[in-house]
Amino acid sequence: MSLSTNPATASAPPVGAAEGVNAYAPEGGEKIIEVHGLNKWFGDFHALKDINMSVNKGEVVVIIGPSGSGKSTLIRCLNRLEEHQEGRIIIDGTELTDDVRNIDQVRRETGMVFQQFNLFPHLTVLENITLAPTRVRRWRRKEAEEKARYYLERVGIPDQANKYPGQLSGGQQQRVAIARALTMGPKVMLFDEPTSALDPEVIGEVLGVMVNLAKSGMTMCVVTHEMGFAREVGDRVIFMDAGHLVEVGSPEHFFTSPREERTKAFLSKIL
Amino acid sequence: MIEARKPPQTNAGAVAWARRNLFHGPFSSLATVVLGGILIWAAVSLLGWVFGGANWERLWVNLKLFAVYRYPSDLLWRPLLAVGALLFAFGASASDRERAGSHIFAGAFWQFWALILGLTVVSIVASWQVTPYYILATAMGIGGWLLGRIVPALARNGAYIWIAVLLLTPLLLYGLPWADQGGMRAVPITMWGGFMLTLVLTTGIVPSFPIGVLLALGRRSDLPAISYICTALIELIRGAPLIVWLFIANLMVPFLFNIGPDVLPALGKAYVALVMFSAAYTAENVRGGLQSVPAGQSEAARALGLSGWQTTLLIVLPQAIRAVIPALVGQAIALFKDTSLVFILNLHDFFNVHNTVVQQPASIQITGGIRLELSLFLAVTYFFFAYRMSVASRQIEKILGVGER
Amino acid sequence: MSSRAIRHVDGSAERQSIPFYRNVKTLALLAQVIFVLLAALGIWILYRNITTGLASSGLTFTFNFLGSRAGFELGETTIPYSASDTYLKALVVGFLNTLKVGIAGVILCTLLGVMIGVMRVSANWLLSTFALWYVELLRNTPLAVQLIFWYYAIILSIPPRSDNSLQLPGSILVSQIGVALPWVYPTGNFGNWLPWLVAALAVASVAYALRVRQLRREGRFGNRFLVPFIAFALVAGVGYYFASSGNTLPGGTTATVDPLTGSGRVFVDENDNGVRDAGERLLSRVPVTVRIPEARLETISSNVVESREAVYSTFRFPLIQEREFESAEVIFRDPEAAAGLSIHFDSYPSIGVIYRDLNGNGVFDAGEEIYYDANGNGSYDPGEEVPAEGARIRGYNGVGLAMEINGFERRVVSDQTGALRLPIFRPPPAGEEAAAEQSSPGGLAGGLGGLFQTPAQSEAAPEVEASTEVHVPGPLVYSEPTVPRSSYFGGAQLSTPFLALLLGLAIYTSAFVAEIVRAGIQAVPRGQSEAAKALGLSGGQTFRLIIFPQALRVIIPPMISQYLNLTKNSSLAVLVTFSDFFLVSNTVGNQTGQFVSVYVIILVGYLFISLVFSLILNVVNRRVALVER
Ligand SMILES: Nc1ncnc2c1ncn2[C@@H]1O[C@H](COP(=O)(O)OP(=O)(O)O)[C@@H](O)[C@H]1O
Ligand SMILES: [Mg+2]
Repeated sequence: MSLSTNPATASAPPVGAAEGVNAYAPEGGEKIIEVHGLNKWFGDFHALKDINMSVNKGEVVVIIGPSGSGKSTLIRCLNRLEEHQEGRIIIDGTELTDDVRNIDQVRRETGMVFQQFNLFPHLTVLENITLAPTRVRRWRRKEAEEKARYYLERVGIPDQANKYPGQLSGGQQQRVAIARALTMGPKVMLFDEPTSALDPEVIGEVLGVMVNLAKSGMTMCVVTHEMGFAREVGDRVIFMDAGHLVEVGSPEHFFTSPREERTKAFLSKIL
Repeated sequence: MIEARKPPQTNAGAVAWARRNLFHGPFSSLATVVLGGILIWAAVSLLGWVFGGANWERLWVNLKLFAVYRYPSDLLWRPLLAVGALLFAFGASASDRERAGSHIFAGAFWQFWALILGLTVVSIVASWQVTPYYILATAMGIGGWLLGRIVPALARNGAYIWIAVLLLTPLLLYGLPWADQGGMRAVPITMWGGFMLTLVLTTGIVPSFPIGVLLALGRRSDLPAISYICTALIELIRGAPLIVWLFIANLMVPFLFNIGPDVLPALGKAYVALVMFSAAYTAENVRGGLQSVPAGQSEAARALGLSGWQTTLLIVLPQAIRAVIPALVGQAIALFKDTSLVFILNLHDFFNVHNTVVQQPASIQITGGIRLELSLFLAVTYFFFAYRMSVASRQIEKILGVGER
Repeated sequence: MSSRAIRHVDGSAERQSIPFYRNVKTLALLAQVIFVLLAALGIWILYRNITTGLASSGLTFTFNFLGSRAGFELGETTIPYSASDTYLKALVVGFLNTLKVGIAGVILCTLLGVMIGVMRVSANWLLSTFALWYVELLRNTPLAVQLIFWYYAIILSIPPRSDNSLQLPGSILVSQIGVALPWVYPTGNFGNWLPWLVAALAVASVAYALRVRQLRREGRFGNRFLVPFIAFALVAGVGYYFASSGNTLPGGTTATVDPLTGSGRVFVDENDNGVRDAGERLLSRVPVTVRIPEARLETISSNVVESREAVYSTFRFPLIQEREFESAEVIFRDPEAAAGLSIHFDSYPSIGVIYRDLNGNGVFDAGEEIYYDANGNGSYDPGEEVPAEGARIRGYNGVGLAMEINGFERRVVSDQTGALRLPIFRPPPAGEEAAAEQSSPGGLAGGLGGLFQTPAQSEAAPEVEASTEVHVPGPLVYSEPTVPRSSYFGGAQLSTPFLALLLGLAIYTSAFVAEIVRAGIQAVPRGQSEAAKALGLSGGQTFRLIIFPQALRVIIPPMISQYLNLTKNSSLAVLVTFSDFFLVSNTVGNQTGQFVSVYVIILVGYLFISLVFSLILNVVNRRVALVER
């Protein structure tokens, strides 16, 4: 894609060096997500500004930040639900370009869990889970169903397989969504505020599933404001604001000595 | 602990009901009295006219025209057999107690069956020639129902029965194309008419559905060229009234297929116009359904790796169509009513047969004409079927509403 | 910036190597190109088929025919039109007729639909049940059937014939051929009043603005329209009075009538010869009093079917009001042939039956208007009595009657073309010579408020004496309908086809409107009415101030699409022979054979209407969206 025709060249805001930081993973690990110089515009609106980050295999990265700061946009760029205009995104060695094959490859290897669950209401739980494995991975139905039941077991709802999503509680639906993503056997899991639409008393059950997943070694990018989760399994926390990566550090760093004013202001509100 | 008690019985009884629903306040009482008076007067004079003043003789002697128009009298068993086959399939699928919404099927089935039963009784009393076939059709209906009950597998595979019946029906109505005599001789569709033609035209809803879905998908496409072209086509068709399209179809449909003006009978031209018109409206309904599917649905599907087509066919469309089933039934009702416009192509459907009857010499002689009688007959018949469909539509709506949440 | 730095390291070589069949961008482009090509191919095939088809049938695709003479009359015209006008004009008339029935239908269906819709949510069981069945019955029967019902079964067959028109209070006439209402028309003097009207409008606008400001200052609710309306009426009324002093008619304005043909005209008699010569201007909307001192009307008795019943032995003279003559007497033209028959009036002096007083009681009894056609010649011969029942019966038809009428006087207003129409008069029995003398020559040119006496007949030997008096009209002229022969003259006329179409469309659409209104009202959350009640508003106030305004936002958009449906459905006018756009186009197509051109015209016409409606809808939607914020 030609960069010179990009609106950015004309409207790029004056960004000081302090505005953006890198969030590269510690050296030595096997990089499974690499993002370099990522820029994303919605029309004239600059939503992501010069994002540089990477994630090592098995790492759990928690992204926090005020509403509208670009967290969802960033995570949705990682499996090309949003198309980026500048920079490179490489997932497990496959770069996200206009190549359909690469896009399909990346989507097969990443699972995603949404705030609104997005289960398919016209399909049963089992059908929700087996749909993609049978259609995309071309597994046999029996094989897919076995896998599905295994993951339903793991997320703690083995006996709801033949119900419709509308018959489940919010927490159960989100756990089905996680099982649905896991059944495809992804290498990376993306979570976009998975607990924000849930009643307080069921948040725990979903977080429990996510903690177990993290402990089992899954690579995870999680947008969440559940700092308890971050503290328990998070390797790094990224704070975003206005499309920038503002501050990166360990969960402990954020709890004890955040550097930036904006970070402090934000944390004081959510903690 | 205090026992639960029944509420005090102040609001029961007919008088209390009337006070609450008819005479609560001066305005309400006045309205009840005035409207009630008018309605009673209207009902009395209507009944008096129906049983006293009206002349039903012309209708009675022309019932065959209204049913099948000029279909050969000695072949009437064929449409009746088709009716029987349809009732059979209907009964078989209505008898399946397992399936969701089978009570909708059952309600409709028993009403249509009762209609045919009523006609059978009339046929026996009036000793029409076709009485045996009426009895056969009635029996096939009840037979389908019973068979479905005894052999549930049959009911559950109703789709195959329907396909068989829908293939059989045109064969029965048209006959064998190459035969020019005997019981299965071909009956050219120029001789079709009456209620039979109305039903044949109404089947246009079936092909119009996939076309409408394609147009709707095209209109919602991300690709501007496709979206514009589909939008233009939909809006062009919807912009003009159906009667105009039927008028245009008369000349243009042969051009469309590059055939001579007289190769395609008027029925074919009307069918093309009805299907396209209905498709445009179906497209708009389906578009409404597509819009009602949250964006998250297709995003989730794409995130799972499903392709664009898979997402549309497996995730978005099923939900969209489910959301607009009532609107689609409404479209079927509209088409059923709109078939009455084919008079513009000189087709003699149920509606237009009445013009033929009005112009018969014996009808002209009747003082004051018989339009009032005939238009009431037409209205009652159309109403029976259209209202039945709208009841079904409301029942479906209820089921969907319950299933969704 | 870092993005630029990255650009150098980014693997652009790899990006460029994506084969086109795997590149989402090119794939999207490719799909569109293929689709457009397919669409173009389809259009091209259609175009080729049409052109070859047209060529093989010897037709061309042109619009040249629009300028040629149409040669057919139209039953209904909103602007002057005759068979000698062009096809284009005929199409315009048809289009205007579609608009006319559309606009009237929209108003009527809204009134009806809102009423039924509100009834539908009424707490009164009878009202809501009635409204429910009203909606169900009308929605589930085809409009075509309803139109046939209204036109043939009700409007054409229930009202009486035109020569027996029902006379409703306010000079309204109702009959098989339609309804005629008294009407006021602007005349040639309307211009005098126009400045006053403009002034009245200005005053009303100012009054409105002041009133709105006053109400806002005082912070109270009140009627904003009453004061401006009174101001408007006052200025316009005073203006009408003053403007009338300037009323004139062109010098030499003359009215002539020929009682023998029942026709007349008002024109400017340039050369003062009392007859209209070629080139002399006809004057429309001029009131004229016609006086016929002595004449007779003639008719014969007949059997007619009226209101779905046979009426035997009836005679009908043109409708004449009792105030229009000094004396009138109905007699048998040939007393010999009518020996033994008597006359009975149903409505003096125009309508009655002739009968034979079988029981000799001196008055008409049922059954006495019928005789037994003994020799089967189809008409009455003296001596044919009513026999015992069961015989074939016919009325005393074909018996000649005459009405001797003295001092006939009628005020008529010339129509759009300057013509006058009256009943056909015959000379009085022995009055041939007496009528030869002429009344004094008229032509008092130009007098203000003056009257013009002119001889009715100047050249031909006048067998019936008639005089006319031309009145100078005010800015507006009041015209009452009359029935000179079998059609209406004067007033405003609503034809049967128009009425049937209007009624059918309005009632059919009102069912859909009612459903929209019901849904709109029910869409207002329950909490709204509970909140209003908690604030102490009454039931009526709650509905008027809280529920309905909110419902309106939900109601209006679908309502507009129903209006569009109504207008498009008016194309069913062909069923009731109303000359709408489609019927006229259809006729033009059949006459010229230029079907393809006519199709294009029809489609453009209806698409135009649809476009206008969707523009309105867009504006309304934007408004609604604004209000909601
Ligand atoms: N499809 C879109 N079109 C235009 N603007 C968008 C779109 N999606 C997101 N945005 C804008 O981009 C910004 C970042 O959005 P988002 O990533 O959803 O923020 P977050 O998830 O951090 O709350 C917001 O200002 C939002 O308004
Ligand atoms: Mg977000």
